[in-house]
Amino acid sequence: MNITPVAVLGTLAEFHKEPIPYDLNALVRMVSRLHPDLLCLDMTPEQWQERDFGGLPPEYREALLPLAHQTDIVIAPIAGEHPPEEPSAPGWRGKAIGTCRSWLATLQRTAPGPDAVNQGLRHLVADLLYSLGAWLSGPKTSQKLRDHTRRLTQSVLELARRDPGARILVVVNVRHCHIIRAALRKHPEIQVVKYSAL
Amino acid sequence: MSKIECVADTYLFVFSPHTLQREAWRALLSSQPGILISGTLAEPSQLATPMHPEQASTILIDLPTPQPEIAHRFRTLAPGCGLLFLVPSYELSIVLPLLQAGATGFISRDASVGDLARAIIAAGRGEIVLPPEIAVQSLVALAQGQPVEQERLASLAPLSERETEVLRLLAQGFTNKDIAQALILSVRTVEAHLRGIFAKLGVSSRTEAALWAVQHGYSAQKFK
Repeated sequence: MNITPVAVLGTLAEFHKEPIPYDLNALVRMVSRLHPDLLCLDMTPEQWQERDFGGLPPEYREALLPLAHQTDIVIAPIAGEHPPEEPSAPGWRGKAIGTCRSWLATLQRTAPGPDAVNQGLRHLVADLLYSLGAWLSGPKTSQKLRDHTRRLTQSVLELARRDPGARILVVVNVRHCHIIRAALRKHPEIQVVKYSAL
Repeated sequence: MSKIECVADTYLFVFSPHTLQREAWRALLSSQPGILISGTLAEPSQLATPMHPEQASTILIDLPTPQPEIAHRFRTLAPGCGLLFLVPSYELSIVLPLLQAGATGFISRDASVGDLARAIIAAGRGEIVLPPEIAVQSLVALAQGQPVEQERLASLAPLSERETEVLRLLAQGFTNKDIAQALILSVRTVEAHLRGIFAKLGVSSRTEAALWAVQHGYSAQKFK
């Protein structure tokens, strides 16, 4: 069996308006060094085909897409549909979600590098804040987010089956990371590896 | 973007008769991922570094008027090297004589740095680098006058569905990266399919396979 190595790198990419303290070149250097065969991004095939990158996070728009354009890295748009809206709710739950997001924004602002959110306490806190935000927004929003994560996972799986042995790097919001990794680990033809070991 | 050395880097030589142009290209391209500047040349004869056939290498040729004899000289000196010409436009009258003299790629002076970097990498792999529609016209022009071997066609091993798709895109002037992106497969997988196609068609190069495909009507079939 041809084993396909897959690494999942989490970002806090939806905080468009937050200044990114590290140089995006750090992300370019990192991904360029890893040089994956396929780079899976949370964007729809339509966004990719129409080169409609306006609504994408700066990590994608200004770092990963230009890098892929001029190298052999192939982009795989893995979102079947547009990602659901960020969780929201009326009243105190809405305020609590706002607080979670402000803490997430702080995590983004204080990140020393593009991979910081994948490590240690920062990763755990980010994951917890996202889960809390989804829970506060109610079951419908949580379900939509779960469905989106499932679509991302399914796309990665299909890609790995279409091109066994290709080195796949998935760069998505950190909220999806552990779910995608856990789902992919169930498949013997896939070897989930740390991004630095891809 | 900052420089990172990769195993698959393309070695680049820059040929221009003008010192400032050579230095400008070096300054511009030395920071591009996947490209290592190996040297600049004022004369083809300065190409003294031995070329390893397995190492992707490209010579970027910047002349006010692209000359087929320069392509021919470099082709003789470095048979396995990609020859990428800067051209004012992709007119067939400019491109065809250069292709026949051994050039492998062309990039417009109006292209972006990203497009140039991509072209350097593709040329280093021995690909024909041209906008797809011009590549098809060039292949059609090059294929004219070459006999179509119908008898051999009957004895060829059948191509798989994926190989047929790859060959169709090859005949439409796509580079390996373009083919890989269209099919969302890795470039290495596309290269493996191409090796399979070469073996089945009994050809030894990408250009021969592309010519074969054009002669057999693959360029007319659009990818779905």
